[in-house]
Amino acid sequence: MTSKIAVNKPGSFALLNGDEAVARGAVEATVKVAASYPGTPATEILEALAEVSKEFDIYAEWSTNEIVATEVAAGASMAGVRAIVSMKHVGLNVAADAAMTLAYTGIEGGMVIAVCDDPALHSSQNEQDNRYFAVHSMLPLLDAGSPQEALDMAREAFELSEKLHLPVILRLTTRVAHGKARVKLGEFQKIKRKPEFDKNSSRWVMVPSNAIRQHRVLEGRLTEAKKLANDSKFNVVEDNGSEIGIIGSGVGYYYARSVLDTKKFSWLKLGFVYPFPEEVVKKFASKVKKLIVIEELRSYIEENIQRLNFQVCGKSQLGLEEIGEFTPDNVRQAFASLGLTAKAEKQEPLDLPPRPPALCPGCPHRAFYYALNMVSQFVNCDNEKCVGCDICEYACSFEKEKVFNPLKSRIRSVRIGQTFNTAVTCKACKDAPCVAACPEDALTQSQETGVITVDEEKCKGCDWCIEACEYGAITLHPNKNKAIVCDMCQGDPKCIPLCPESALSLTGKSNDKIVTGDIGCYTLGVLPPVNTVQTCLCMGAGISQAAGMVHAGVKDKVFAVIGDSTFFHAGMPGLLNIAYNKANVCVVIMDNSIVAMTGHQPTPGSGKTAMCTDAKIIRIQDAAKGLGIEKVDVVDPYDIKATTQAIRKTLDYNGPSVIISQRPCPLLIEKGTPREVLEKCNACGVCVKAFGCPAIYLSSERAEIDATLCYGCGVCETVCPFEAIRRKEK
Amino acid sequence: MKLDIVFSGVGGQGVVVLSDIYCEAAMLDGFDVAKAEVHGMAQRGGSIVAFARIGDKVESPLIEAGKADVLVGFEILETARALPMLKKNGTVIVNMKYIQPNCMISGVKPKKTEELIAMLRAKAKVHEVDGIGIAEKLGNTLVVNTILLGALSALPEIPVKKESFQQAIASRLKEKYVNLNLKAFQLGRESVLMS
Repeated sequence: MTSKIAVNKPGSFALLNGDEAVARGAVEATVKVAASYPGTPATEILEALAEVSKEFDIYAEWSTNEIVATEVAAGASMAGVRAIVSMKHVGLNVAADAAMTLAYTGIEGGMVIAVCDDPALHSSQNEQDNRYFAVHSMLPLLDAGSPQEALDMAREAFELSEKLHLPVILRLTTRVAHGKARVKLGEFQKIKRKPEFDKNSSRWVMVPSNAIRQHRVLEGRLTEAKKLANDSKFNVVEDNGSEIGIIGSGVGYYYARSVLDTKKFSWLKLGFVYPFPEEVVKKFASKVKKLIVIEELRSYIEENIQRLNFQVCGKSQLGLEEIGEFTPDNVRQAFASLGLTAKAEKQEPLDLPPRPPALCPGCPHRAFYYALNMVSQFVNCDNEKCVGCDICEYACSFEKEKVFNPLKSRIRSVRIGQTFNTAVTCKACKDAPCVAACPEDALTQSQETGVITVDEEKCKGCDWCIEACEYGAITLHPNKNKAIVCDMCQGDPKCIPLCPESALSLTGKSNDKIVTGDIGCYTLGVLPPVNTVQTCLCMGAGISQAAGMVHAGVKDKVFAVIGDSTFFHAGMPGLLNIAYNKANVCVVIMDNSIVAMTGHQPTPGSGKTAMCTDAKIIRIQDAAKGLGIEKVDVVDPYDIKATTQAIRKTLDYNGPSVIISQRPCPLLIEKGTPREVLEKCNACGVCVKAFGCPAIYLSSERAEIDATLCYGCGVCETVCPFEAIRRKEK
Repeated sequence: MKLDIVFSGVGGQGVVVLSDIYCEAAMLDGFDVAKAEVHGMAQRGGSIVAFARIGDKVESPLIEAGKADVLVGFEILETARALPMLKKNGTVIVNMKYIQPNCMISGVKPKKTEELIAMLRAKAKVHEVDGIGIAEKLGNTLVVNTILLGALSALPEIPVKKESFQQAIASRLKEKYVNLNLKAFQLGRESVLMS
């Protein structure tokens, strides 16, 4: 099947999203080099270009990050060919160092920086408005409001870039980038360029004396850009002789058109927005009595018009915010508040159970988080289920002493008042007070599991530990007069399966460790029931934030979780930093050998390039060792036991360490045999409450597995305390 | 002429692909088209909604609440969730598949299939489609979405020709799956025409 963007029929239509439209525009303009780092909603620009790379003799690459991609595109442009770099809005922050000074050096072949903003943060960490990056960097900016504009602007942006000798920013927003529309295709320009680099030009060397000269050159280019903005075909006037004029940009402008009777107003659609097309706006404003501005995110157009001394009806008058995205609903409400259109009918909200985002069934990240959560655990009792039957006490005394005697049990059934029943046992407190209280040093606590051990030789039965325990979990053995406490039966407590009400379960201790997070699928580990991830700032931040906490003196063990692609993108400098500056952080690299969240683009660990050619696989364990980390463990997260052991070993390791949790993204491999729940399931809920796989749900009597959703990873078999889950028989 | 359709389901069910094929078919009949999707961060298992607007001229891709003409639901709970998008007395096509969300985490009482269907019936004309049942007859449960497309094509309010749907299916899918999907399309169509 040929790609939709490769069709050589000028004037014909194709259903394209904004990203594909940008790619088509670039191909029409004879782009030669394309580079990007995956990021929603910009990913499909490079994907579409890579797909047609052979056919149109384009070099396309997934670079390791956005500044690398920008520099690759800049180098190609310096050699005289046309180049495009694409990224999500926050990628431009990463690329900023290059972009800011590229404005000074200027470029040779046309260079387009395509950037997709994400109003309403559909999948981002902020909603910055990159029109202000244009102001900041002094690079011209085109703002697309539809896929058709995206195509037309992309093609035109190369021309503009070459006229001005400047990179041109082409801005899309999520609704444009991921919205699809009928788009009219243009002609392939087939421009011929010989790649050559002018070795003798001083404008590429930004030492101060050259840079200050180039700064002046940039000012001159901006004056020229202003003229082009005023003449641009992307600033479109529709004069309907109305007293009310509406100025807008982006998709918000089209929402306004769809909720209003367009003939009753005059319209100005701004597409070339930086430098601000003052003359166009002045002319339009002078013909109407009232000006209304409709623009998503910040009030860029509004502020510019105010600077021209025109009265504007803007965000505050319309009751619209600089936060979040526009919808036809809130735009209608805004215009209805001015009496310019009908109000919407009120829709009654429905009371429905939510379907929150979750890690996919079979996701190795969930398995790793489960192991991390379970590193230190205790026997927990669900008060709602406990009926005070005391069977746990009998189970424990029989297991430990081969007698049925509650006085010799390590778990105690407690009744408070008439109805409140529970069972208490050791909570494996961090820095356990019982250990500190013992005058004989008879109590010790395992660094790895938190389990308390009593040395019977040393214990004198003084009671001090019993006094120290706020849970009442320690008692004296009635015959030996020695302290007895739960040892969790080497991680397999015998009381749990014998509880007739399924009130007991092994529960991981939250809040006994710090887990910094990063950007990727695994950020979903912040959500219940996983609840592991405690931070998310920007690409690569987790490792260095963890280091900062350690240097501040926090007592808890600090884990920094980062995905393989994010590690290559921005994690490596942070890892080198903790190796050299010695921070006691355990960095967990979640290696699924792909950029999963954006739709499976290759990483340097995948062995394939964007153009599907073979590449040398860069092994993360080699990279970590090369960056100076001595303790590097590789685990399979589906093996919960081995993973837990590897995590425990880092608990008393004092220094920077790395655990690589390695499993391919299950969406890329064939599904395994689904699991099923056996009759003996007693609906204890551990698989749903502690593990939380979306393929498992609780019916009234037991857990059920939806075989169409199950990926057959089998981790739930390990999680189930009652061996009630098994491979489904055909 | 304008017709606004909301497609809803759970990530991984093929909501996006199906709404694409519908738009491609509409373009073959000369309609202007715009569409958009709303989905969360998860690759699989979250709520997903796609809007598809066709007409002589379509200005923007999103549909206002209470203005959609037709709602096509791939899953019962998500169909109910998208119901506020539908106009009064609009039409619903619902695939009779219920994927239970994890109510233990949210602490919300789960809803039964009958309760959800009653919600739909209170507002709209409802066509229940046994997508998986029909797909199993064809020996491939992956064609459920094409069955729903067939059901959609049979609604009297759809101005797109049957042949255009078939052509759009044929041009979008790999050749070896085309015949199977055309059969699925036909069975889906009949499930509405015969009801």
